[in-house]
Amino acid sequence: MVNYLSKPYEKKELEKILNPTIKNWFFSKFKEFSEPQLYGVMEIHKRNNILISAPTGGTKTLTSFLSVLNELVDSAEKGILEDKVYCIYVSPLKALNEDIKVNLIEPLKEIEDIAGRKLGIRVAVRTGDTPTSERAKMTKKPPHILITTPESLGILLTTIKFREHFKKVDWCIIDEIHSLAEGKRGVHLSLSLERLQHLCGHMTRVGLSATIAPLDEIAEYLVGYEKNKPRQCKIVDVQFNKKMDLKVLCPVKDLIATTGSELHNNLYKLLHDLIQEHKTTLIFTNTRSATERVVYNLQDMFPKFYTDKNIGAHHGSLGKAKRHGIEDRLRKGEMKVVVSSTSLELGLDIGFIDLVVCLTSPKSVARLAQRLGRSGHKLHETIKGRLIAMDRDDLVECSVMLKDVLERKIDRVHIPVNCLDVLAQQIDGMAIEDTWDVKEVFKVVKQSYNYKDLSKKDFDAVIDYLAGKYTSLEDRHVYAKIWHKNDRIGRRGKMGRVIYMTNIGTIPDETHVLVKIGDHVVGKIDEGFLEKLKRGDIFVLGGQKYEFLFSRGMTAQVRSSVQRPPTIPSWYSEMLPLNFDLAVEIGKFRRLVDGKLNTGKSKKEIIGFIDDYLHVDKNSAKGIYDYIKEQHMYAHVANDKRIVIENYSDDSKKYIIFHSMYGRRVNDCLSRVIGYAAGKIRGRDIEIGINDNGFYLASDKMLMIEPILKLIKSSRMRELAELAINKTEILSRRFRHCAGRAFMILRNYMGRKKRVGRQQVSSMILMNAVKRISKDFPILKEARREVLEDLMDIENATLILKGIEEGKIKIKEVNTTTPSPFAFNLIMQGYTDVLRMEDKIEFLKRLHSYVLAKIGQKQKFNED
Amino acid sequence: MFWQRLARSRNSMKIDKNIEIIDLGLYLPNEKTLVIADVHIGYEEALNKQGVLVPRFQFKDVYLRLEKILKKCNPSTVVINGDLKHEFGRISEQEWRETLKVLALISRYADKVILVRGNHDTVLGPIAKKKDMAVVDDYKVDDILITHGHKINRKKAKTIVIGHEHPAIGFRRQGRIEKFKCFLRGKYKKQDLIVMPSFCLATEGSDVTKEKLLSPYLKQKLDNFEVFVVADKVYGFGKIKNLK
Repeated sequence: MVNYLSKPYEKKELEKILNPTIKNWFFSKFKEFSEPQLYGVMEIHKRNNILISAPTGGTKTLTSFLSVLNELVDSAEKGILEDKVYCIYVSPLKALNEDIKVNLIEPLKEIEDIAGRKLGIRVAVRTGDTPTSERAKMTKKPPHILITTPESLGILLTTIKFREHFKKVDWCIIDEIHSLAEGKRGVHLSLSLERLQHLCGHMTRVGLSATIAPLDEIAEYLVGYEKNKPRQCKIVDVQFNKKMDLKVLCPVKDLIATTGSELHNNLYKLLHDLIQEHKTTLIFTNTRSATERVVYNLQDMFPKFYTDKNIGAHHGSLGKAKRHGIEDRLRKGEMKVVVSSTSLELGLDIGFIDLVVCLTSPKSVARLAQRLGRSGHKLHETIKGRLIAMDRDDLVECSVMLKDVLERKIDRVHIPVNCLDVLAQQIDGMAIEDTWDVKEVFKVVKQSYNYKDLSKKDFDAVIDYLAGKYTSLEDRHVYAKIWHKNDRIGRRGKMGRVIYMTNIGTIPDETHVLVKIGDHVVGKIDEGFLEKLKRGDIFVLGGQKYEFLFSRGMTAQVRSSVQRPPTIPSWYSEMLPLNFDLAVEIGKFRRLVDGKLNTGKSKKEIIGFIDDYLHVDKNSAKGIYDYIKEQHMYAHVANDKRIVIENYSDDSKKYIIFHSMYGRRVNDCLSRVIGYAAGKIRGRDIEIGINDNGFYLASDKMLMIEPILKLIKSSRMRELAELAINKTEILSRRFRHCAGRAFMILRNYMGRKKRVGRQQVSSMILMNAVKRISKDFPILKEARREVLEDLMDIENATLILKGIEEGKIKIKEVNTTTPSPFAFNLIMQGYTDVLRMEDKIEFLKRLHSYVLAKIGQKQKFNED
Repeated sequence: MFWQRLARSRNSMKIDKNIEIIDLGLYLPNEKTLVIADVHIGYEEALNKQGVLVPRFQFKDVYLRLEKILKKCNPSTVVINGDLKHEFGRISEQEWRETLKVLALISRYADKVILVRGNHDTVLGPIAKKKDMAVVDDYKVDDILITHGHKINRKKAKTIVIGHEHPAIGFRRQGRIEKFKCFLRGKYKKQDLIVMPSFCLATEGSDVTKEKLLSPYLKQKLDNFEVFVVADKVYGFGKIKNLK
């Protein structure tokens, strides 16, 4: 059972459970208990599972550790402290781990001072960076509090000597659970937790989270299932106890009647003003390239104000030293402004920030809240945030998001389930740890939230895969990782343990190629993508068009400000997708305004409504009114219950443009399924282009929407979508990642590290071979699932199709000679992918006739 | 797979007086000689040793495809133009067996098997000895010099046939890219030069229009080289410069 704690404990109750030394220490440092502490400390003390959701910079960490320290200090004073791991703390960031260690060691010193003697409580960090000597020390004398990462925990679970220390773990604290739960790292961790619990019988799980929804689901993820029911868990939700001062701003009065350079100049003036009005500003952009651009332009336009000493970029592709330098100077209060993409969203201590600016929509309410949470360091200080909208869609998006965050309507995250690649890795780990009854393995796996609905069939397929049953008996020694006999499994061969230890983890190994204009980095692309580029190719990266010039080593030189449309599909994208819940909220708002326009309400009345509904200023409300009014006049306003379709042809191509306001993940899936049906009808390759507000299909033959839609049934969505992605680059890429996680491609093997570049070719060979074994080979099946469920959103796409079938979502078709501004933007942005419908040989034949016609030598090349 | 349709389609093309492309092989009708190149038996095992656990299909595929070619032209001599075996570290029992099986298949049709030495064939000796076959650096017939092509062979001939390069060509149309194995025909100095595609079926090979070429014979502008794509049939595509 998962339930919310409705009221905090009394201060007196809490004081009663605290050991006198701890109590003295606590009140020597703090005046009173914080809100999360009043809720959480007692529950943790009582060994109840608990999820605490509070903004970063709150007192979450101490809340989770206070009961633990209380117990350890008490035992130490009584002389009954055992040599075992009492508490495991897991966080996704190594840097955070170091922070935590310092934040525990200091208090322990102070506590020892109060106690007047050494207490002998050991705290240690164990990550991939921990030196061997430290590890050996830990194995001999285990730390009482172990601080680690999900990967290192996975390794420790299979380390024979260390496992002994895990047999009586009392608490496991998972920090930044919101960032873990969304991805495969979290899936991996959930199985490690079940393995750990299997080892120690009972342990209390404590989850710490920034703003996220739905909290119930995150709680279930934290605690797992037993006998098909979620284990007991309490939820403390103090996400919104800070005051908020939020605004949406536009750099110019009228987003339409402005030139690009005007917008640019005004944006930087606006940013400059905001920065100068505050002590320390943190600016979030959505891409790494934008991060670099903002820093560059601020320095360029205001050289007197911004020097390398007080401005800096912080993102994932920067070196560790550079990032740490920025974090350090932030904490010391030396920075005036830091520009970051997603890397500073997590809970590293970055000192006092009095203003957070989001440059363009952060694409999800939860993300906005997490970013805002970085401002105002103490719990009760006001959060101050500004969202800067750069075009009219962005303005609507930012405004609706602002409304949602003020009204505490958080959009939901997607948690991956039934991931067969991670499952394979973890079962391999279990087999290395011990021999198991297969039924017992299944039971342990099903206790994880991510695998509660795992079918026996898929589970068995993974066991068979690990046992190498897909190859002949004589080849099996190469492929089998475990033995499987009489319903038992176990480790096979001596290499198994080394392979597991050196290849563990879920973050795919990628070599990125830096994309540069001169010395200026604009982003990075996958090596596989570079392989497809020819000189002069135009491609899209982070929403910008670039022309490829040449590559040298690990950099690609490009040119910007290109007028031609892209020549190569940009299946590789750096863009954050718009959250589905938020997209629907935006669609709903558009529907409400459209409704008022239809019933002939006056301009003043409607602007008043917008102002009221969205909490925006008059100027923005007017901008939004003009925008929707214009669409209303032009054709129909697309909204959550209406998809507008535009038919348009230019010289070379016929287009169908869908204004479908459901976010990129849904549109990605819808476009492929509809495109696939169109391709089936026409027997031609179909080009598709996608963004958050729509998608287009293009072909050299006319496409008709009605017969296409007739071909698609929502009940057959999965089947169609699987066919549609079968030959795509994105499936090959994800297959490579899955094969890595399932140890089918080993990056560390027989003492050598595999170069990722060469993995591209070999993973294609691997995928072709696996397809020949079975279309349901577990790793291939997982790659398809990952593409359809995690990258795309097949679940909600199916709901949309169902809505169309049931008439709840209407389709309005318009024919245009000039495309609407929205459609024009979408087409200009270029295509995301090509659905290969034509048989490879047909493709060749068509090219052959084309080439022959071109060189006009048909006679000469007649065969035989 | 498309090549399974081979039996039905015309997969041969005469490209010179005494030179015919038959699928991935080159056939010299006057001498009843078939040339194949770069089979790379053990390619998948090599991948396995690098940590890519590819299940093995290549041997079976090579065997069937080669048998079809042999049936079709019924040669009296078969020249293996280098790199029969993909060498990478220790060679397993199974790889030996497979190599012997391919040679046995060829021997069933041809009286004479010539092994031209490739850059991967340093341990071919024992097999050749066992089978009583010659390992040579080149083989000359009717003014056609057959040599692997990893280094320049000084002997003169009207036509030189090399392998080694694994030529393929990538076609791109509307963002779709497909790669096909191909023969190339051009000139080296004043001699005719034919580059054979590899018989290694795990990969198509390297795209000659964009990748860096390996053979010293091809360190030159390839614009005037003709392309013959091998798929279900043989397709003449004319000169490379027309394809760019």
